[in-house]
Amino acid sequence: MHPVVRWFHQLGSPPYFERFAARWAPIAYIAGLLVMAYGLYGALFVVPADYQQGDSFRILYIHVPSAWMSMAAFALMALYAAIALIWRIKLCEILAMACAPVGAAFTLITLATGSIWGKPMWGTWWDWDPRLTTELILLFLYLGVIGLYNAIDDRRNASRAAGLLAIVGVALLPVIHYSVTWWNSLHQGQTISLFGTSHMDPSMLPPLWAMVIGTHLWFVGSLLARARADNLRRESGKDWVARLAEPRA
Amino acid sequence: MSYQNYVIAAYCVFAVVMLWDFVAPRLQVRQQLRAARLRATRAGRNTTNEFPLSRE
Amino acid sequence: MIWSAAKALMIRDLSLLWRRRGDALQPALFALLVVVLFALALGGEAQALAKVAAAVLWLAVLLAGLLALDTLFRGDADDGSLEQWLLAPVPLSWLVLVRTFMHWATTALPLLVATPFLAELLHLPHEQLPVLLASLALGTPLLSLLGAVVAALTVGMRRSGILIALLALPLYVPILVFGAGSVAAAGQGLDPVGALLLLGAGLVLALVLAPLAAAAAIRIALD
Repeated sequence: MHPVVRWFHQLGSPPYFERFAARWAPIAYIAGLLVMAYGLYGALFVVPADYQQGDSFRILYIHVPSAWMSMAAFALMALYAAIALIWRIKLCEILAMACAPVGAAFTLITLATGSIWGKPMWGTWWDWDPRLTTELILLFLYLGVIGLYNAIDDRRNASRAAGLLAIVGVALLPVIHYSVTWWNSLHQGQTISLFGTSHMDPSMLPPLWAMVIGTHLWFVGSLLARARADNLRRESGKDWVARLAEPRA
Repeated sequence: MSYQNYVIAAYCVFAVVMLWDFVAPRLQVRQQLRAARLRATRAGRNTTNEFPLSRE
Repeated sequence: MIWSAAKALMIRDLSLLWRRRGDALQPALFALLVVVLFALALGGEAQALAKVAAAVLWLAVLLAGLLALDTLFRGDADDGSLEQWLLAPVPLSWLVLVRTFMHWATTALPLLVATPFLAELLHLPHEQLPVLLASLALGTPLLSLLGAVVAALTVGMRRSGILIALLALPLYVPILVFGAGSVAAAGQGLDPVGALLLLGAGLVLALVLAPLAAAAAIRIALD
């Protein structure tokens, strides 16, 4: 068997995944932290203030990567859920459910930073801008998946039901975005784009890419850590967990 | 208009949420391992078991 | 076989409903109460009410339907009939579709009939009424179909009332937007047909896809 294929199958074994996640989660966290540190330093001290928006522009370096991450996490969650439902792979159920809290965290960051950025820009903490509104509904979808997963006792049924909800959600998300954009144009005429007409100067881009990569790496670390916890919880009666928990002699 | 407070607020929100995201799974893992340890002491320890993937 | 199964299910649902015919009025009464509460909260002045009438009516119908959603599968889940559905020789999604249709006919249709009366209470401008009724006629089956998926996901649970609402409402947003938005567009002098056609397209898609998703959810819940 091809080594990569074998590794794939091995990951499905809970003790093997425990070892894999325990090893790689800290590495992903640290790598993410380092890349984000570089990005944040660039965002705060290197990049010049924006011509139109001044220093508040620096919030973009957190807002945009978080927004992209919130949507990428939802798509990944739906993908894992689809694989779990079709092929009944337990690990994919675990990974799908592990995506939800991280994605929700990034959605929360997006909403909060968007609101904080909006105050000096639009003079108001909240605006029913199509993007922010869609992001808010995305948060509700995440909370719904998490809520449904916690509401059902049997872990496998819970993850499969919540996974189905995630798939329905991902299918409806473009529709939701389109509908809110249409509604916004109906009620407010010209939509106020959060990023205005200022194009980003090329010198402003490297910290943004660093933040994007850094948040992705952090996401992988968080995903593995949460998947590890869920894996241990599901396997809690088994001997290998008991042996793992034994205090070292 | 000083944007400094807004920028600081935004970055603080980011830091706090990321910190929670880091701490929460660690607590969960620690909780699971502790529960497993307690279960093992209650059941009486088995030093060897040739079927490690079986339940109890 | 498919049609006789549908007929049997419809007759059963109608007989069960007939035995508790008082219950059939409850969604309409709830919508009426919602309208009353909105009118009281907004101050009762005709001009102010007329501006928001279409939106309030849409919300009243939507929320009434949401509350009725719990009864979609609950009765059958409790007495074991849902498991018989799994064993039936007809596709589960077909049974789900028939049940959803009956549920819509018995909870949403009375609401549609009551809408002109409720619209009068809110001083809805008369020229907006046809668009409102069209948007509700297209939108309420959509709400029922999407709601069926959510109800199927939570069918095993006991205290699922608020959870159903929390899961369903984000999914309801596009329907509400296009439904209430079509009336708003008509009120502004724009053509509402675009939004109504989108609702229609969504309905056609949902007629095919929602029963399949709900059937998968029922299988997961009853596993």
